[in-house]
Amino acid sequence: MKDVKIQVNDLSLYYGEKKALKEISMQVPANKVTALIGPSGCGKSTFLRCINRMNDLIPSVSITGQMLVEGVDIYDKNVDVVNIRKKIGMVFQKSNPFPKSIYENVIYGSRINGITDKRELDEIVETSLRQAAIWDELKDRLGDSALGLSGGQQQRLCIARTLAVNPDIILMDEPASALDPISTSKIEELVHELKEKYTILIVTHNMQQAARVSDHTAFFYMGELIEMGKTDAIFTKPAKKQTEDYITGRFG
Amino acid sequence: MTHFEIELDKLKNVIQKIGALAENQVNESVKALLSESVAEGKEVKKVESKIDKLDVKIDEICQRIFALQQPVASDLRFIMASLQISNEMERIGDLAISIIKKNKSIKEKHDLIAKFDIATIAREVEVVMVKTNECFLTRDSEVISSVFPLNYAIKAKVDEVIGAIINEMKTNSKVVVSGTNLVLVLKHLERISEHCSNIAEYVYFMVHAKIIKHEKFEDK
Repeated sequence: MKDVKIQVNDLSLYYGEKKALKEISMQVPANKVTALIGPSGCGKSTFLRCINRMNDLIPSVSITGQMLVEGVDIYDKNVDVVNIRKKIGMVFQKSNPFPKSIYENVIYGSRINGITDKRELDEIVETSLRQAAIWDELKDRLGDSALGLSGGQQQRLCIARTLAVNPDIILMDEPASALDPISTSKIEELVHELKEKYTILIVTHNMQQAARVSDHTAFFYMGELIEMGKTDAIFTKPAKKQTEDYITGRFG
Repeated sequence: MTHFEIELDKLKNVIQKIGALAENQVNESVKALLSESVAEGKEVKKVESKIDKLDVKIDEICQRIFALQQPVASDLRFIMASLQISNEMERIGDLAISIIKKNKSIKEKHDLIAKFDIATIAREVEVVMVKTNECFLTRDSEVISSVFPLNYAIKAKVDEVIGAIINEMKTNSKVVVSGTNLVLVLKHLERISEHCSNIAEYVYFMVHAKIIKHEKFEDK
């Protein structure tokens, strides 16, 4: 695989005694969309959260193995976790705008990073909202509260907020599962456009969504990576029977 | 059984049914070809209309499954193959009817049929038809693979016999009309065998996830 963005070597994760991820090894290609699929509790979201060290916030978690982002082991002692999360943005299932204006939501990260120049901040807002395909809808109401937006708009605002700090990688944890079909389709279209600039990993329960938006698909089951391959191959002729059973709905 | 599995099962049953009817048509056409009398073919026409109805029904079931179930992997291949198989079966039925129609106009045919051993080719076509239905039913790799050499042998034999019939027509102008019709019947038999081979290719795709149509016989 050329241009590997993330290299995972024998990564295991424990919640206390319980092994939730079992020796995961995979390569995530740059500027592609990789979908993580599998039944509830299979470890796909846990794995996603390993990529920007979100699991650090859970006290009982311990991790072995390597997670190399552009060749750097992000679990190395000398690595600054704040820098990692700047480079690796995250979008969650439930949109979580701050109770502030649309404008302030987008530039929240930039302000923390010390940017104060009004013109620069204006530019960040416009660029980020354009990239999130929501500029035309919001440009005349940037001062309005973000909480007044629809669910789909809120989610795209959250994506804009993620893009505003200029990450390399975007992690999406079921970003469209609470949205109507039109908003879902807008998010999916956006994912297609964003992969030109970013490497995207998306966790989804919606198999058709994984098939539509991703270039590669990884199937997790009970903490193991069962199979990873090009999405068209996974959905037409998966190599493993477990994958076939899962995607055809005959699991268990 | 889930609702989806019931739908797939229904589709499988209808494919088996259209396959059995197409096989019946082939048998009837061979019987007519080899018998002394000119068959009326009323029964065959009734069956033909049943085949047409099943062909439409298969389209409808597949359309419904695509729209409502979004099939993937082996399910997707099964439905794609079903659409093609149904189409091939319908054409086999049409060719069988054409043989019966042509049969009526082959005067002195029994001399020619006996002389050129048309019965052997016709029986081989019946065998390839049976094997074709069997390969869909069993999905057995050996049965699937057995269809291709049978079809290949039929094609070779048809070419040879057509050459001999043409030579006969060159020397005996009395047999030109029946000889020409017999050549057409042989081409129909060859087409039936070719459709059977196509069906075996779709079953191969269904089972092995590999498209082998248009591949050379030796590569199959």
